Amino acid sequence: MAKEPEEEEGGEFADFLADVSKEVADAVESLAGPANVPAEEPRTTPVVAAERKKTPATVDSGVIAEWPNIADRLIEEVR
Amino acid sequence: MSVVNYGTREITCKIVYYGPGRSGKTTNLQHVYSQLPEERKGKMVSLATETDRTLFFDFLPLDLGTISGFATRFQLYTVPGQVYYAATRKLVLQGVDGVVFVADSQSRQLAENIESLQDLHANLADEGFDPRTIPLVMQYNKRDLPSGEISSVEDLDETLNFRGVPHYSAVAVNGKGVFETLRSISTLVLARLSAPAAKGS
Repeated sequence: MAKEPEEEEGGEFADFLADVSKEVADAVESLAGPANVPAEEPRTTPVVAAERKKTPATVDSGVIAEWPNIADRLIEEVR
Repeated sequence: MSVVNYGTREITCKIVYYGPGRSGKTTNLQHVYSQLPEERKGKMVSLATETDRTLFFDFLPLDLGTISGFATRFQLYTVPGQVYYAATRKLVLQGVDGVVFVADSQSRQLAENIESLQDLHANLADEGFDPRTIPLVMQYNKRDLPSGEISSVEDLDETLNFRGVPHYSAVAVNGKGVFETLRSISTLVLARLSAPAAKGS
């Protein structure tokens, strides 16, 4: 008995996809303005936020910069 | 539903297959699913009763890949045709971009076809769509039945297709007319992307 050749897998879908792709391309092209807006950049953690967490490195952050004056005051106190 | 998302470069279209019970809506989706190449086969969600009738809805996501820089997805839904699932039909219609009305060609089903079409129009209006302008395609299914049992395409068109939208003869159970119908509604929906100002007018 003659058997009809089986359709290639996805054959109907492939034809559909080809047609629809053209329609989508036309639609995108016609939306020239908004479609040309560049895609959103992937979001990253802002650097500023990370820096905020750091302990500020200022001159008085645990470092005694005016040691001689303090020593003088201590000697004065002892007297 | 937002059809085009420029930020994420996505196009999503929601197409709903509507019609009376047992007209062949689920069969349409099953044929589309059967033709998908393996790498594109997602999951077809089908919620049926113990008697095989669609209880809630069928959902078939179609990922068409990236076209012109846009990830393009079609979402195909069916509604339960039985009259007592009115609330579900209304829910599924939310955010719809295009409708395929699957009519049962059997002469004795003509009243059910008309009732379902009226139900569609009422639900579209309730959801804020204009039934006169929303993309619509008619499919006259079960054309393989004996000619004495089915209405002619001309009669069906005269009775149901008062908008004069594209119509297709189909035998969904063996795939005839299924992709022609899908292609047609896709074209109408995508054409609307080019003319967004006309949407809802």
